[in-house]
Order: sequence, then structure tokens, then C-alpha cells
Amino acid sequence: MEILKFTFGRLLQLIPVLLGITLIAFLLLRVLPGDPATLILGNRGTAEDIARLTTQLGLDRPLWQQYLAFLGDMLRGSFGQSIAYRSAVGPLIMERLWATLALVGFSTLLAVAMTIPLALIAALRKNGITDHAIKIFFVAVMSMPAFWLGVLVVLLLSVVYPIFPVSGYGDTFVDRVYHLFLPALIIALGTAALTIRSLRSSLIDVMRADYIDTARAKGLRQRVVLFRHILRNSLISTISVLGVHTSWVIGGTVVIESVFAIPGLGYLLVSSISARDYPMVQGLTVTFAVLVVAINLVTDIAYAIADPRVKLS
Amino acid sequence: MTSSSINHLKTGQVWRRGLFVATILGSLSAPLLAMPADAANLRVAIAEDALTLDPIASSDNPSIWTELLIFDQLVRPSKDGTKLEPGLAEKWTISPDGLDYTFTLRDAKFANGEPVTAEDVVYSLQRAAGEKSDWARFFKPVTKYTIVDPKTVTLHLDKPFTPMLNNLALFSASILPKKEVEAKGDEFFKMPFGSGPFQVKQWTHGEKMVLAKNANYWQSGKPAVDEAEVQIINEDNARVLKLKAGEVDAIVGIPFNQVSQLKADQQLNVGVAEVFRTDLVQLNTKKKPFDDQRVRQALNYAVDKAALVKGVLRGNGKEAVSSLPVMAYHNSDLKPYPHDVAKAKALLAEAGYEKGFSASMLVPSGDVTYRQVASALQSSLKQVGVDLKLQSIEGTSQYSTTKAGNYEMSLSYTTSDTIDPDQLIGFTAVNPERANAFHTEWKDDRVNELYELERRSADGPEREKQFKEMEARVHDGAPFIFLYHQGVPYASRKNIEGFEVLPTSNYRLEDVVVK
Repeated sequence: MEILKFTFGRLLQLIPVLLGITLIAFLLLRVLPGDPATLILGNRGTAEDIARLTTQLGLDRPLWQQYLAFLGDMLRGSFGQSIAYRSAVGPLIMERLWATLALVGFSTLLAVAMTIPLALIAALRKNGITDHAIKIFFVAVMSMPAFWLGVLVVLLLSVVYPIFPVSGYGDTFVDRVYHLFLPALIIALGTAALTIRSLRSSLIDVMRADYIDTARAKGLRQRVVLFRHILRNSLISTISVLGVHTSWVIGGTVVIESVFAIPGLGYLLVSSISARDYPMVQGLTVTFAVLVVAINLVTDIAYAIADPRVKLS
Repeated sequence: MTSSSINHLKTGQVWRRGLFVATILGSLSAPLLAMPADAANLRVAIAEDALTLDPIASSDNPSIWTELLIFDQLVRPSKDGTKLEPGLAEKWTISPDGLDYTFTLRDAKFANGEPVTAEDVVYSLQRAAGEKSDWARFFKPVTKYTIVDPKTVTLHLDKPFTPMLNNLALFSASILPKKEVEAKGDEFFKMPFGSGPFQVKQWTHGEKMVLAKNANYWQSGKPAVDEAEVQIINEDNARVLKLKAGEVDAIVGIPFNQVSQLKADQQLNVGVAEVFRTDLVQLNTKKKPFDDQRVRQALNYAVDKAALVKGVLRGNGKEAVSSLPVMAYHNSDLKPYPHDVAKAKALLAEAGYEKGFSASMLVPSGDVTYRQVASALQSSLKQVGVDLKLQSIEGTSQYSTTKAGNYEMSLSYTTSDTIDPDQLIGFTAVNPERANAFHTEWKDDRVNELYELERRSADGPEREKQFKEMEARVHDGAPFIFLYHQGVPYASRKNIEGFEVLPTSNYRLEDVVVK
């Protein structure tokens, strides 16, 4: 019940956020030089052709009218017609949303799966060889551009040793997991580089806390102390790092999407900006905003689960 | 996809999945051979997906290429792009006054089995000339259509317009099944079919399009494949790797610096298409010192085009003599401006710029080739005392910036949709016209006059002379620094026969055989 109320409150907060974001996206796009009609007709159109298409696309109306029309469309649950694709924006976004969500979800899972054991080892062997090795490996991964790392990994694991497919998205669930493994791994390595550092340092802080000594003094086994007391209390800051980073990954996977030919939202956004496909960019902006708010919501709920002191209100 | 091929694929996937699990468990795997390609299916990877399959609303290459595989036109360019050959029309006649075009349709059927009739032709062409068409200008010269009988149609013009026949070979002049389009409206174009070799079976935006063979296609024995899958892989390197791993059979677009390495690969066939494209630098003749023809010529002499072709394109291109690609009616007497620093300096001195000058050049951002060319131009021009400042600009904004005249020099290119030079002469040399000599504002009265004449003259030696004279005048007037014609490298695996990119940039997958 509490979670439902909290979620509803958050959804209400979404309204001013969306208004602000759409207004900014709307205005920024129109400040950019280059208009869709000229782009579409290119070297083929005369001035009249361009004027006619501009009218057809509804781009000759005053800006405030265009913005209101867009808000009206949104209330009716549609984002209008894409200029480049000449068809409704909504279905085009939905078609690609799953690929992005799958990639983001899978990479987050992999990142968590790497973070917890590696951070524990690093914290327990503080300043030992393993700790340094983990640190150096992830600093190296973080310093490599994603497209370069991606191509290297593909070269090794798909061409020289053909274990994974070079790229693509697959058709069935298992097939998709198989296809998405390498791209998700590369994103996860970037995420884990941050979360391992963060978790390691809070683990070390918590290990020094008095209540840990108390827990040990009352005779709890090391494993119980480690997982129930130390790890649980250390997760808070890592959850926020993970949440922030995941929000970033949602819109920031363009490069990985290109290298691995995954039909996700990132590439659609970049190409739609280039094509000055106003309705598509607006639709995507709203989609990203909703996703980021959703991730923040999940992050907050995760706080409450990890730390009983946190109340959802 | 045939049932045997489904089984084949599944086995392959299960096999690989097992391997995937094995790897996760930590066992070491030996290198494996890639799966052999399915005999009946073809997989092609290109960089961008089609946007729409409505021929009158398309202007991007992937949409155009796909439409040419699905729909037929009355006539079509020959494979070498030098002349027109019969398409849906098996023959045609043009009246001596150039006003009546009569087409006789062949016995062709749409993919749904319905015959293609004169009514479909009239409907499709009127739609292409209509309100909703981005290409209306190309078909407006036809003022009246007469259906003589179900297989014969006459197009009437008010005044002679020779490029008309070429315009009818455009994808936007595709012949659609009238009944279907009228019944389904815009929905039809989500899974369209025509009388062409293929029809859309599945389209996942941004991922792939599966084209199934049209069993009713009029060319017997074609297509040789049951299915062609066009995969979208944006990244150049990823496309190359996919081909090497055998996950696709053919790719279009290879980074220039990888072409020679792929040519050495025993498993691949590599080709470079000489597409109708010219790369050039626009010179704003409204601004000093580009108003002086001697300055513009000097810039052409100062640039080492052969070095650009060799160094930047790695030999995958040809030096340009004018703003026109090497196509029909090309003036082969013209030679590229030689690299001659002394001559360039002399011309600059004559124009009063012996000390040189400084200028800015717009360079489309995010394009590696352009970045390299821009630096090369910068150092070439430095030798004649021209100090070039590079100004990076987003590709999308470039066209509107040059159109508004807010530039001095701009690195750009042009491509032709038709195999007739009329479109590009009109675009790059005629002023006033729709682009005022591609935004250079260069004006040559004789070119304008010849342009009018050319559009009224019947195809033949007379028209050829007009085009050759126009091209020579563009060459001498030098409203651009003419750079090169950049080729399009493509590759296919050895078991694929007949995959090629044509000068018109598209590919005819119906001619491809998988062995």
C-alpha cells in the first residue's frame, strides 16, 4: 500500500518534469538551423516544393500552436506522425523500447553480479594484490572507448574464436540473451568499474563501525556478519551510483547499439535529431524522461528494502 | 523461409547456445568454423534502414533501394547506368513532336496475382504528381493520360520535356497496385508489394527487413534466392566483421582503409562501384575574392586531386573535371585541373591577390573522410598563400547555411537520382534555378540558355553537344573546386555470385545466386 501511494506520488511529480523537458526539447530543436522540409527534398525541391511540404507537416504554424498541438497529441496518448518515417511515432518507439530495456536490464544484472563478489574480495583483501588487480583492470576498462573495446571483443570472441555472434538481436528469448551477452557485458564493465569502487570503500567504512564489533562480540558467524550487517549497510551509496549510472545508460548506449547492431532507442534518437524529426525526438524525450523517473523510483524502493530506516514517503 | 532452412538455423543456434553455456561454465572452446550460408537465402548488411516504403515520400537511399526491389517502373536504367531499358513497358514510342509517350505494358502480374494494367500506371503516376508527393515536380509535365487499352497507355505533355522518360525510371514513378493502395491507404506501405522481384515479408525497424521472392515476377528464373534478408548494421567495422565471420553474405560500405586488406582475403569478392557522385568545394561567388573566375581556377590548380584519391580514398575513386559525375553525355575531352602551384600563384597575382588571402571552409562534422580531405586542402592551399580556416558544421545544418549564403567555401557533394545529367546540371550550374548553381550563385547565361534547349531537344547528338558545352563551361567557370568521384566499396563471400552495387547506388538482388 505504501509503495503504491509512493509510486502514485512520483507519477504526479512526473507531470511538471515532463512539461519542462518537452518544452526545452521542443525549443532547442527549433533553434537548430536546418528544417525537415529542406532536408527531405534536398537537391530535388524548389522553394515552392519546400513551402508546400512545410505546410503539410504543420511547421508553418506559430511555435506556441505547434507546442499545444504536441501536448494535445500526448494527452491522447500519441506523439503524432514521424516526419522521417511518415508513420505514427508511438509504435516506432515501442518497437525499439524492448531492445533498449533488455540491454539496460541485462547489463545492470551483470554489473551487480560482478560488483558484489569483487567488491567484497577487494575490501577483505584491502591493499592486497587482488585488490590492486581488480582496481587496475577496471581503470583500464574505463579508459577504453566503448566502440574500440566492443570491436576488440567481437574480433576475439566472434571472429577469431567464434563463440558469440558478431552482432544482432536474435529472435527468441534465449537467442536474445545469447546475442545481447557481449554488448551487455561491455556496458556492465563500465558500470561495475564505478560500483565496485563505491561498494569497496563503504564496505571498508562499515567494517570499522562499532556495531560490527558488537555483532562479532555477540558470537555471530563471520558469514552472517558479512552479509547481513556489513554488506546490507554498505549498499546504500552503491544503489544510488547504480541508479544514476543506469539512467545514463538508457540514453547513452548509442555507440554500443551501433557496434552490435541492436535496434534500440539511442540510435533512433541520434538519427532523428539529424533528420530534424521533431515529433520523434519529442516522443523519445518523453520516453527517456519516464524511464529515468521509473529508475529513480526503483532506486528509492531498493533503498527501503536495503535500509529499514528509510521510509517511502 | 523454407521449412528446411528453419531447421537448419535452429540446429545452428542450439549448437551455438550449448557452446555459450559451456563457455560460461568455464570450459575452453576450440575455434569453430562459422555456419555455412543457407543455399536458398541471401543476407545483406547495409548501414541504414529504410524510413518509408512509399515511393512518393522517400528521399533516403535505403528506402529507394528497397523500393526498387519491390516495385517496377515503366522503364529502368541499364545495369551500367548509361541508358534506359524496358521495365514494365516492353516497348514505347515518342511522337516526333516529343509530346506523346505511348507505352505497351508487358504481361506482368503483381505479387498477389492480379495483372498490371494501364489503370494502375495512370493511378500511380497521377499519385506521384499529386499533392502528397515530394516528387511532384518530376511528373507535372505530363498533363493528360489516355488509356488506349488495358495494356497500352499514352502520356501527353503540353511542351517537349526530354528528361521525362528518365523521370519515369525513378523509384518515385513505381507502378503500384491501384486496388490495394486505394483500399488500404497508408497501411499498404507497411508491407507493400508490387510487380518487382521481391515483396516485404517482415520488417523490424532498425534491425532487418526480410524480402520474399515474388513468385509472379515477370523475369523467369528470377530471383534466384527464395529470401533476401537486409540487415541494418550502422557501424562500418561491425559490418566488415560480420562478413568475415560469415554471419552475412554481402555488405555495402567498407572503410576505405580496409578495402585492400579485404581484397586480399581469399574468402571474399570485393568491388568498388563508380556511383553517380561528385565531391566538391562550393565557392560563394557573391563574396570576394571568389567573385573572380581566376581565383576560383587558381584554387582548382592548387589542389592535388590525384593525391586525395590516392591518400584519402586509397585509390577508390577518380578525379573530377566538373560538378557532374561521369555519366551519359559526359564531356570526355575535359581533363582535371592539373596540380600546378606556379600557375595557381600566377592566376592569383593576376587577380590582385599575390599575397594570397584567408578564407573559411565549412566541413561536415563526424565524417572521417571529410576531415582528412579538409586538412589536405588546408595544406595544399597554404602553398599558394591561401590561409584556410576549417569550420566544422553538423551535416544537417550545412545545406541551409550555404543556401542562406552564409559561407565562403563549403566541402560537400552531389548525387544524381536519374541517369540523365539534366538533374545535376539544373542543380549545380543553372542560376536562377532551385539551388542557384548549388548555392554558389555562379551565373552563366549560356548555360542557362543551353539548359532550356536541352530540355526540349530529343535524345541524340544535338542534346549531347549541349551537355558537353555546359560541362565545359562549368569546368572553366569553376564555381567549385572539383575534387573527385568517390566510389562505394562492397564485398560478398565467395559463394555469392552476381552481387554488385550499380552506378545508381542500388543493387539488384534478383540477379544474385547463392552457391
